[in-house]
Amino acid sequence: MDQRNFLYMFYGFAAAWGILALYVISLVMREGRLRKELDSVKRMLDSKG
Amino acid sequence: MRQNVLIGLALLAGLWLARNLYVIFLGLPDEAAQGAIYRIMFFHVPSWFTCFTAFFVAGISSMLYLGKKSTMYDTLAVSAVEVGVVFTIIGLVTGSIWGRIIWGIWWTWDPRLTWALITCIVYSGYLMLRRAIDDPTARAKNSAVLCIFAFASVVITYKAIDWWRTQHPGPVLSIRTGGGNMDPAMEAMLFSNWGALLLLCIVLVAVRMKQEDTSREVESLRRYAHAA
Amino acid sequence: MNFVSQTLTVAGKDIRSEIRTKESLNAAISFAIVILVIFSFAVDPSAEQIKEMSGGLLWIVFAFAGALILNRSFARELGNDCLDALICSPVPSAALFTGKAAANFVLLMVVEAVSLPIFGVLYNMQWMRDPATLAAVCMLATWGITIIGTVFSALTVNLRLRELMLPVLIYPMMIPALMAAMRLTTVLISEGTIPADDIIWLRLLVGFDIIFTALSVMLIDTVLIG
Repeated sequence: MDQRNFLYMFYGFAAAWGILALYVISLVMREGRLRKELDSVKRMLDSKG
Repeated sequence: MRQNVLIGLALLAGLWLARNLYVIFLGLPDEAAQGAIYRIMFFHVPSWFTCFTAFFVAGISSMLYLGKKSTMYDTLAVSAVEVGVVFTIIGLVTGSIWGRIIWGIWWTWDPRLTWALITCIVYSGYLMLRRAIDDPTARAKNSAVLCIFAFASVVITYKAIDWWRTQHPGPVLSIRTGGGNMDPAMEAMLFSNWGALLLLCIVLVAVRMKQEDTSREVESLRRYAHAA
Repeated sequence: MNFVSQTLTVAGKDIRSEIRTKESLNAAISFAIVILVIFSFAVDPSAEQIKEMSGGLLWIVFAFAGALILNRSFARELGNDCLDALICSPVPSAALFTGKAAANFVLLMVVEAVSLPIFGVLYNMQWMRDPATLAAVCMLATWGITIIGTVFSALTVNLRLRELMLPVLIYPMMIPALMAAMRLTTVLISEGTIPADDIIWLRLLVGFDIIFTALSVMLIDTVLIG
């Protein structure tokens, strides 16, 4: 029982940090995508005018 | 400048959380009735407080948006909701893992848990609604209205343990019970971790706001390109 | 014209056009009956347990059928720019909103009045043990459903995915009212009265109606005009 208690405590912390990490990764990925989009739109505008 | 401040704050939050983790694991003893598992509370309760704070900020800034029609408030609202949803999910998952040990089940339909889940669904609906509207002004207006409605579920979640007899533990913090239900050192740690998570939340919201501004810029440039 | 007569005018217009075309009422009633019939295959209708789930079953039926009515509430005004005409008319948007909500309320009450006897017949249920209280509970909960549904119907009327977004947004929001209504209907059908323990659900229902009616009337100007 004690073993399992301890294990689940570990799972709980791992889950909390894991979800935070996933969110941060998604933020970083979105940052990259947005930057690429901004560049391509700016390039499109430059070539037009 | 802004970026340096953000990095500094993020580092501070990281250090604070690391220091708290050290104290949680090595400084505080096991709880008498629950054993080691009670330490999940140090993440579970603060992440709920953090998401309540984020949703509160989102609700206020939605009202301000409707009053002043400045996109800044809309940006703040969407960023706060998105980060808030992340902390809601953390709260649900950690609570579920705690329940597996203490109650023997992952989930039960008790009012507190049900409301917590409803809050999560309602705010996910907010994020979905934003994706469904193309026009930025209509998007900001409609989602601001939804955000104000959604805050009702936060209030009910918070008060559920007072209104119903729940399987979820009742109030233990001394601000609500007048003290005596919890060891002062543990309670101090709970608030300390809330502070750290709140700081982290602020950093994440600031990063997300920057991105929302960028995507607004992309949107308007694209419209300009099509018009030209 | 004062507020009440303006509300009644809008509600009258909506109900009249619904009586003439019956476009959403027919769909909602037949949909409700179909769910009741299908559900009787899912469980053994003679079983005693059906009493325990009667409230849940009924309110799922009402909520689903209600979404059909609510979806049409503002969408019906889109053709020929009727919505713009309504907004331009001298009726304040709060009266427009309460009128539309009142019309939806009446229509949904009709659906409920039709489905309840059918439920009683199909499931051999004595649902008339305390008709007055049951009617009061139905009215309170239906008002809660229609108020949320009408304001969100106005909110989503211009969306591409209107029919999809409305249920996604309204069902979680109306859970408080549905939960209370399910619980109260179940005890009214199985026991005939509301025990003291369950009075809190009645209070929740009344509180829900008051809070969301006030919130909706306050915000409807923003929703419709911007």
